[in-house]
Formats: sequence, structure tokens, C-alpha cells
Amino acid sequence: MMLSLLHLLLVLAMPILLVGVVNRTKSWWVGRRGPGLLQSLWDLRRLLGKQAVLSTTASALFRSGPYAVLVCSLVAASMVPLLGQFAPLSFDHDFVAVAYTLGLGRIVLMVCALDVGSSFEGMGAAREASFSTYAEPAFFLLLGTASAATGMHSFADAIGALHHSAHFALMAVPLVLALLILLQTEASRVPVDDPLTHLELTMIHEVMILDHSGPELAAMQYAAALKMALYAGLIAALLNPFDPRLAPVAALLFCVAAMLAVAVTVGCVESLSARLPLRWVGGYLLLASALALAGMAVVGVTGGNP
Amino acid sequence: MNQLIQAVLVLMLGAALCLLPIRNRARAGIGLLSQALATALAWSVVLPVLFGAADITGALPWAYPIGELHFRLDALGAFFLSWSLPMTLLGSVYAVGYLRSYFDGPRHLGVHFALLNMVSVSFLLVYTGEHAVTFLFGWEIAALAAWLLVIWDYPNQKVRFAGFNYLVSTHIGLIFLVAAVMILYTHSQSWFLDDFGVWLRLNPGTLRNTVFLLLVTSFGLKSAFFPFHSWLPRAHAAAPAHVSALMSGVIHKAGLYALLRFILLSGKPDEWMGWFLLVFSALSALIGGLYTVGQRDLKRLLGYSSTENVGIAGMGFGIGCLGLSWDLPLMVALGFGGGLLHVLNHAFFKCQLFYAAGCVYQVKHVVDLERLGGLVKLMPMAAFCFLGGGLAISGLPPFNGFASEFLLYSGLLGGHALGIWAQLSLALVAAALAFVGAVSALSITRAFGVIFLGTARDDSLPPGQEANRWMLLPMGLHALGSLLLGIFPLAGFSMVAGPVTLFLHGSPDSVTAANLAAVAATLTRVGALSLGLLLLILLVLWLRFRAERAKNLEHGATWACGYGAPNTRMQYTGTGFSIDFARQFKNVLTLVERRKAPVGYFPQGSYVVTDCVDAVERRLYSVIGHGDETAAELSHKMQEDDPRLAFSMALAALVLIAMLVFLVEGALP
Repeated sequence: MMLSLLHLLLVLAMPILLVGVVNRTKSWWVGRRGPGLLQSLWDLRRLLGKQAVLSTTASALFRSGPYAVLVCSLVAASMVPLLGQFAPLSFDHDFVAVAYTLGLGRIVLMVCALDVGSSFEGMGAAREASFSTYAEPAFFLLLGTASAATGMHSFADAIGALHHSAHFALMAVPLVLALLILLQTEASRVPVDDPLTHLELTMIHEVMILDHSGPELAAMQYAAALKMALYAGLIAALLNPFDPRLAPVAALLFCVAAMLAVAVTVGCVESLSARLPLRWVGGYLLLASALALAGMAVVGVTGGNP
Repeated sequence: MNQLIQAVLVLMLGAALCLLPIRNRARAGIGLLSQALATALAWSVVLPVLFGAADITGALPWAYPIGELHFRLDALGAFFLSWSLPMTLLGSVYAVGYLRSYFDGPRHLGVHFALLNMVSVSFLLVYTGEHAVTFLFGWEIAALAAWLLVIWDYPNQKVRFAGFNYLVSTHIGLIFLVAAVMILYTHSQSWFLDDFGVWLRLNPGTLRNTVFLLLVTSFGLKSAFFPFHSWLPRAHAAAPAHVSALMSGVIHKAGLYALLRFILLSGKPDEWMGWFLLVFSALSALIGGLYTVGQRDLKRLLGYSSTENVGIAGMGFGIGCLGLSWDLPLMVALGFGGGLLHVLNHAFFKCQLFYAAGCVYQVKHVVDLERLGGLVKLMPMAAFCFLGGGLAISGLPPFNGFASEFLLYSGLLGGHALGIWAQLSLALVAAALAFVGAVSALSITRAFGVIFLGTARDDSLPPGQEANRWMLLPMGLHALGSLLLGIFPLAGFSMVAGPVTLFLHGSPDSVTAANLAAVAATLTRVGALSLGLLLLILLVLWLRFRAERAKNLEHGATWACGYGAPNTRMQYTGTGFSIDFARQFKNVLTLVERRKAPVGYFPQGSYVVTDCVDAVERRLYSVIGHGDETAAELSHKMQEDDPRLAFSMALAALVLIAMLVFLVEGALP
């Protein structure tokens, strides 16, 4: 119960904080002070107070969609382990449910983007759709590897107990890198997408929500930030050496520290590298699958969980 | 058994009455009535068998050389009959709406309804036939009826060609089936499927493997597995919507039924059969899925997604076969349970999608993505049914596709007591399934977005409006079914449990019960998740919008980068949506591009046409096309008076005959 509350707190707070940390890191690299860590919270509050302006082309789907996206991300968040070997909702093969719940959110997001009939938003949706076809197999390869290595089948167990398995150090490197690439894809960060770009032709996530405004935009932005937090949390859970049931405080501290470290990494990558040309992004995402396959090879060669 | 025979008689009588020289309305009425009556009659025996009553057997004396005809209704046949008949009835109801404009015309509609009746007859024969001849007879009725239904619009040459293409393919499939039956008959000296089973169980080896491959080819042609699918896109594009729906969702499931029947008969399959089935099906799912991406014709797109979905169901059967050969009852239950559930789910959502496509065609007279647009405001029912079906076909919660795919994932990633490499190989297949799901989400988003969202692209088309009630009712029922089976997947599983028990015949009852309970527990969680997700979304929407009704919302033009589209053709196109993705798979997808580049300072008349054509069909025709030339060339090259050639040919012929004799020798008792 206590752990579930902690999990909920993390889910609510970390998206805001992580976005803040990424932005601060980027500001630091360019020598600015940058916005406060909680800036995105104030942005959300401002949006919630505004009234939406609707496109004349939009249908009823357009305004309902963002809330469906938000609910999907929250439901998925209840199954993703953040604190280590623990998630409030956990059952065998729940990672399939996580992937497909997020998939539902993604398809709703794309449908909303297409609803206004703009070519730019269509392009964004097309890119999101095709990049997700590369990301999904990588995710399943990763989980297949983890669950073969641990012999456990729920998301929390497969990821959280991975550090008990033999040759963890060999596996962790490719898996963490694969997760980082997935994070960059799903949360639309450089080098896959640039959240700060101001050219509609090259955006992915930001262009899809161009026509949303007011509370709906807030829902979309929060859902996107939450996705980043989930992947950062996954990396944290994979590396977390503490059992949240036995040492909750240590697990929590490690989790928060690791998530912040991931955010700093993301910020550094964004400051030091440019986004890839769109035609290279597919190849970059295949790298995630290749890394997961490398992890798989390690498990296969070392014999996995006896 | 009597009720089943009565059902056949009612259907045949109905078909005959449909042909009478009466008004078209009366013919349609007779068709629907006889179907409804036959469904009720069949259900009265099918449902008890499905939910655990003893098998029903029967025999009919028949003339020499057939001898006695045996029938048996077991849980597997009952499962397929239980939804095939009512769905055909719904398809006939849809036909009334779809063909409404013909009712007062001179065209004889009775034939169409009679053929729909014959489709139901074929189900009764195939799903209960114990005698190879009844089985083949039912198989052939289904093929011919489907062919005649496809060529409804026969004055159109393209439609006739599509029908002919289908007819040839399905008969090539029949040849493979007959070959397999001939081998089985030679060895078992019997026409009964049971005796085939006895021989198959006792004689594993080359010949059984040959039979397996022949059967998989034949059933693959029937159910349109890759690479035997080349007839499918044309046939689905040419047929009326309800015929496409029935063919894809119901009629061609007979191929999967037959596959399951023979797996059941052969007892414990070899390990390679399981892997073969798994990889073969995964390939179908992958390639079928990829082909949906490039299609401009909505019904062709849906046709390819049938290839994808039989592939997904087949993956389940592959998992089940592996479970059988490794003696892992849980894997058997998950594989066959998931596969069968997917068959049922697919029947629900695929018909729903085709019906929605039919609604669009009925009003707009085209199903070309690039000419439609903005239909969600004009035909909201069709739009939402299409969206629901699309989410279901991508395996997303809270719809039914999610439940069956979840079982397949559980089977693939279950980590049953397997070697590490087997586990990892299965995980690779799971990743392939995930890829298929994402691809199908892409093509459904594309189809839905381009057809139903945005604004209309072509003003020359008739204005859109909701289809008539005869069409909305079947579509709505299917949509309701897809949703209900998604949030209460146990309902679907209760239908699947009977047939799955048949596959678990090797294990003791307690083990069977425990494994079924494990699968049911999985599905309970999946259902709870779907229901929770749905309720949460509805709750949030209600909380958000309940207070807002009175307010006037501010409207404005779509943000278009300071550039409002001067004409609706400048919206994003379906081709644009998928072309980047399709280009990355150009080794699989054949993209044919014709272009005339603009030249000069005032270019005129330039164009680019991109078409995603079927690689298998293209290859097939190019081989046939070149076949004549190649044969002529070969015969020209050969010098007839060269004695070495004659001798070597004669030797080859002798070896061939010797092999045949050897095979037959082995066959004789």
C-alpha cells in the first residue's frame, strides 16, 4: 500500500521534474540559467485555465482524444516498475498490456492529429506510426530477454529481478542503451525528434498536437512527459539493486537519483548532438532491436536462468 | 443429428424457393427466414455440444461406391458452427440493405440469397462430415458458392477476372487436398476421417510429413496464407461488401478448421510441424500486414489484413502443436485457445470492418482512399464501427483482438520448461507479432484518418449519408460483439474451452481443468484491464464535458503554418502517409511507380502514380507469361536425335516410376 502510494507520487511528480531537469541541463550547456525545475507545472496550470479553440474541421474525437491518451498513459504507468521489483498492478505478461495500452494511446493521438485535416499533422502521425513499428519489436525483444534471464513473467519481476541473474553486467549495458533509445523515440527527444524545433515539416510529436489548446493540450503534454518518466523509471528499476519491499527508502532514493541521471543524460545528448535526418531514424531505432538482440545472445550463451 | 439434417433441408428448400418466379422482396424474405430457422435448429444441438454435452453422431446410407455417410458433431465443429451460421444470417440481412436498389429492378435476386443459403449448407457439411466425400463435397459447395457470390457484378470484366482467379486458386487447393486424401485412403483403406487419424497416429514418417505439407498447402490456399494469397486482394475488392465480409470472416475459416481437424486426428505432431506452422504463419502475418500499408483500395487493404489475421491465428496453432509435441499442456491450452479465440474475434471485427467499408461504398460508390475524406460527420455510425474494428484488429484494448493476442503472447513468452534457445526463439516470434500489431495500427490509422477524418477530397462524388438500417444493424451487432468479447473475454473463452479440451486429450482430466483455469484466469485479468480502461476513459470524459454543454466554443481554421489549403485535394494523402514506411520494405512490397516529370519553364501534364501491387501475383503471371516462351526455347535447344538426351530422360522416367512403386509398396497392407 505504502509502496503503491510512493509509486503514485513518482508517477505524478517525476514527469514535471524530469522535463525541468532536461531543460535545465540544456540551459546549462548553452550557458543560461534556464527555467525553474517546476516550470512545466506552471505551464500546465496556465493551460488548464484557458479555453480551447477548435478547428472547424475537427470532429467529436478531437476533444475526447487527449483524455483517452492521458488515461492510457496513467493505466500503463500503474503497471510499469519504477521502484525496482514492484508495480502496483502486476500480473504475468503485464508488459504486453503496457505496450498495447500505450499503443491505444498512440493510435488515439494519431487519429486526433489526422482529425483536423492538416498535412503537417498528417506527416507527424505518419512518422509516429512508422517509428513505433520499429520500437515495438525492440520492446518485446527486451522483455523476452529479461524474462528468459530471470525466469519470471511479470514486468516488475522481469526488470526488477534482473540484477540477481548471472552475467547481469554483460546484459545491463545493451539493455539500458536499448531502453534509452526507446525513451528517445517514445518521448520524442533528440536525436529522433526535437521538441524545440519550430519547423512543422520536421516535427513529430509537437506537430501532432499543434491544433490542441487549453486543457486538452495540457493533457497531451502531461501524457508525453509521463511517457518519458516511465522509460526513465524502467532504466532506474533495471539498475536498482535494492528490493523496494525490504528497503523502500534506499530503493526510492536510488530510483529518483537514477531517473534524474537519465534526464541529465537526455539533456546532454540533446545539447551535444543534432537530430538525425528523418531517413536515418529508422536505422537508429533498429539499433535498439540490435542491442536487445545482443542482450538476448548474452542470455542464450550464458544459459539464462537455471 | 436430426436437427442438423433438418437444418440442411430447410436451407436447401429455402434456396429452391428463392429461385421461384416471385417478387424479389419475397425471395429475400424466404432466404432470411430459412437461414434464421436453420440457425435456430442447428443451435439447438450445437450449443449443448459446445458447452460440454456428448458428441452427436449419425449415419446416412448412401449409394455405392460411397457407402454409408458418417457425421459427427464434436466440440471443434460445434465451435465453428455456433458462430458461422448466425454470422451468415447477419450477412444476408446486410445483403438486403446493400442490394436494396435492385429490389424493384428486373434483376433476379433470388440466386444471391440461394447462394448465401448454400454457404450455410456447406458449413453444416464440412463441420460435421466424418466421411472424406462429405467433407470434400461441402468444401466444393463453399468454393463454388463463394465464387458465384463474388461475381455479383459480372458485367464488369475486372470482377469476372477476380472471380476466375479465385476459382482457379481454390481448385488448385482442392487438388492438394484430394492428393492428401488419396494418400490417406490408400493407406487406411477407409473414407472415414477417424480411420485416417488412426493411420496418421501410428505412422509418423516421411509419408505423414508429405500429407501434412499437402494439407497445409491446401488449407493455406483456402485461408489465404502467404504465399497462397494472390487470389485474395482481387476477390475481396470485387465482391459485394457482405460477400467479402463472409468470405474473410467466416467462409475461409474452414481452412483453419480443417487444419485443426487434421492436427487433432494426427495425435502428437512432430516438433518440426509446430515450428513450421509457427514460422509459416508468422510470415503470413508479417507480409499480410506489410501489404495492408500500401493499399489505396479499402477492401483490398482489408483483404490483406485477412492474410495477416489467419497468420496470427495460425501462430496460435503452431504454439499449440509445439506444446503437444513437448507435452506442455499449458502451452497447448494457450496456443490453441488463443488461436481459436482469435478466429472468433476476427470473424467479429473483420465483418464489422467490411460492413463499414460497404456503407462507404454504398453512398460514395468508391472505396479509393484518395478520393474520400471527412465522412465521420456524415456517417458517424459507420465511422465509429470502423474505428472500433480497427482498434480490435490492431489488438488494442478494450476490444477483443487484445484478449486473443494476449493469450498468444502468454504462449510465446510463457517460459515453459524449455531450453533457453527455444525460449529466445519464441521471444523473437513474439517480437514479430508486436511488429505486426504496430504495422496494422499504422494502416488502420491511415485508412480511418484518410477516409473518415479531414474534409471530403472529391466534390464530384455523391454526398455522404448514413447507410440504411438493414446495413447498420449487422454492423452494429458485430461492433457490439467485438467490444463485449473484449471486456468479457471469458465469454469467448467459454466457447473455446470445449475444442481446447479436445486437444488436451492426452492429459488427465485434473491437468486439463487446471490448465483451462489458468487460461481463464489470464483472460479474467485481461478483461478486467480492458473494462477498467474503458470505464476510466468514459469517467474522465464525463467529468470533463458534463458541465460544458451550454458554453459556446470558439472555432477557428486548422493551423496550417500561415497557409490555408486552397483546395481540399491538398490534404495529406493515404499514399503520403505510408510511402516512407513502404519504401523501407521495398524488398517485400512491390511499389510500381509511373511518373512524368515536369519539363521546361511552364510544365504541363506531369504526374506520379505509385501502386503497391502483389509481388506473388506479379511473379506468378510473369512466370506463366514467360512459360510458353521458355518451353519453346527449351524444345528448340534440344536436339531430338541426340541419343544421350533420350537415354537420360528414359532413365529419369524409370527412377520416377520406381519411386512411385516403392511408395505404393510401402502403402499396401
